Amino acid sequence: MDLSCELMGIKLKNPLIISSGPLTRSGEMMIKALDAGASAVVTETILNEIRPNVRPRLTGHDGALQNIRLYSEYSLEEWKRQIGMVKEHGGVVIANILAHSPSEMAFLGRTVERYGADALELGISSPHGEGLSVLGCDPPNLYETVRKVVEAVNIPVMVKLSPNVNNLAALAKAAEDAGADGISAINTIRSILGVDINSMSPFLPTYGGYSGDPIRPIGLGAVATICQTVNLSVSGIGGISRFNHLLEYIMLGASTCQLQSALIFKGLGVIGEILEDLRGWMESKGYNSLDEVRGKALNRLKSFDEIILEPKVAMMAKNCPRPGCSLCETACIFGAVEKGRDGKVQVDTDKCTGCGLCLSVCPETCFTLEWKR
Amino acid sequence: MPNIREVARRAGVSVATVSRVLNHPERVSPKTKEHIDRIMKELDFSPNVFARSLNLKRSHTVGLVIPDIVNPQYMEIARGVEQVAHEKGYNLLLCNTEKSRSKEQDYIRMLIDKKIDGIILAFTLLQEEDFEEIRRKKIPLVLFGQNILNENINSVYSDFREGAYLAVSHLISLGFRRIAYIGGDGDHLENRDKTLGYTEALLSEGIAVSKELMVEGADDVDSGYLAALKLLKLSPLPDAVFAANDLMAMGAVDALKAEGLRIPHDISVIGYDNIRMASLLEPKLTTVSWPVYKMGLISARILIEEVESDEENPPAQNIYLRPRLKIRKSCGHETRVSEIFDQPT
Repeated sequence: MDLSCELMGIKLKNPLIISSGPLTRSGEMMIKALDAGASAVVTETILNEIRPNVRPRLTGHDGALQNIRLYSEYSLEEWKRQIGMVKEHGGVVIANILAHSPSEMAFLGRTVERYGADALELGISSPHGEGLSVLGCDPPNLYETVRKVVEAVNIPVMVKLSPNVNNLAALAKAAEDAGADGISAINTIRSILGVDINSMSPFLPTYGGYSGDPIRPIGLGAVATICQTVNLSVSGIGGISRFNHLLEYIMLGASTCQLQSALIFKGLGVIGEILEDLRGWMESKGYNSLDEVRGKALNRLKSFDEIILEPKVAMMAKNCPRPGCSLCETACIFGAVEKGRDGKVQVDTDKCTGCGLCLSVCPETCFTLEWKR
Repeated sequence: MPNIREVARRAGVSVATVSRVLNHPERVSPKTKEHIDRIMKELDFSPNVFARSLNLKRSHTVGLVIPDIVNPQYMEIARGVEQVAHEKGYNLLLCNTEKSRSKEQDYIRMLIDKKIDGIILAFTLLQEEDFEEIRRKKIPLVLFGQNILNENINSVYSDFREGAYLAVSHLISLGFRRIAYIGGDGDHLENRDKTLGYTEALLSEGIAVSKELMVEGADDVDSGYLAALKLLKLSPLPDAVFAANDLMAMGAVDALKAEGLRIPHDISVIGYDNIRMASLLEPKLTTVSWPVYKMGLISARILIEEVESDEENPPAQNIYLRPRLKIRKSCGHETRVSEIFDQPT
């Protein structure tokens, strides 16, 4: 079976890439991730100037992470050695760069290309203010930036987009029109992870970027929109910690995926687990290549107009094996599901409106949606 | 006296590796460099600087020419340039022209005589003809500061007209109409650009430009103080002041407070530069920032890249950096969230 895929013309042994962040802050760290099985790495954000990171800057729980500003603490000159180490190791390195004007971005791009980077990722959409508010939300500005970079370098250029915008499709189109080879999405989401109610202080002292499991639905939505807008290599990011998450992104049209938060919480071993489970799933389904599933779910996305109204209602597929459980009864907002004293669940098909919620709350898959008889 | 061959033999590496440690330390792994540095120390070896510059046809020295050594903004340029020069193994010669074209010409001659590898000119007062010798000798050059004079010369610049336009448009969006301007020394192109930005912003909103609201300062705190006193004689008083740099804005704030006006309740003030002191003022000064330190870093990178390039006539690089509003407390009606994200609400 073949997990190989292509990202902007670069052949990768599998679709799993380490996204930009603290785990790709140095050559040594990137090599560790590659040795753990990742097919490529995206460097921590490289800037012209070093901006000391504040302390503390990370907080997290339940698979969710908030960060405030994690840019590289290495000088641009030092990145020559760090990228060189990974290239010597035979790894694929995508340099994530951030600048605040088109010509500065082009300068950085040319410089890291000389250092050996295989591709660029323009980190224009970090939620910490400047990137997002200047370059990452305005299509003409984005177009100008991408065009300048594309003209300046000979390696593929990928643009990282944020969901903190109301014109995602227009931004993706601007990137494509300007000559970008790929789009990665999503960047972290502007957030405040929580407030300590005893000290009455937010966990971190300013707005930050939200990542990890909870952002996956937002990432999936954004990737689908981008894949329905442009004809570019798309790298899906956001809340990937298991093989099925990766498949969801690919079925919505992504060619590759990036992850990091799950590795921060659970270690680099997650990479091997995802790849092994992915192989196992494909084998069990008889697929030989990811191309056979890519975009399949995207093709099933419809507009409201196109969804045909079917007279569906919930029905019991089997008897409930959990006498003490009342999840379905509680969740049924139409009062159609009732659990009798004998533990038997009944659906009043006259009250049921076919919303489908009972199917997703039942841990035993007791329900199906069928045409009302 | 030990030579480079001996160092190589003792370290068990090639002469080329030792040479790389001396000339391009960034291309050697830290471990190897440490090892060779130790051997050189043990042998009390120091490279023959003269032979080295003959060999590389380089002096490993770059020049930075600035107009005014006491202006904190110019020191930020020097900080950026020095950092990159040091990391790449270059010395820096700092020349202070005190805003005099003839002094600047003298320095250029001196730098050329010293076989300088490259020159960065910040806010130069030189004219086209002054560049002739630099061009003939093919000395790499980077112009720092104002808008591009010549696309064929490397430049790292910020647009002061755009920055002034941002500042004045911000005041207009807050509801001010009678906006005074304390300009900088008119000999400097960047100050003329700021004046243009000021008038364009007013005209674009249909506000007439009034000469009585425009006062020329001299780029320092005292001239800002005096200019504000002059503006206070007007009737009616202006409702906001745009000072072309933070030093003059600080002087103006001092004068306005001394005359009993409350900022921003009675009058608003906005500056330019975002120097460190701007955030220590009471009230904290709203201003326009431009990434002067980063521009210093980029200038040095472009310059040394060209010094070390094998290309005969490398194409010039023109790098533009955006000015941005830095919203604080001195203009009133500003929301806290706009201060955090530097975006007007």
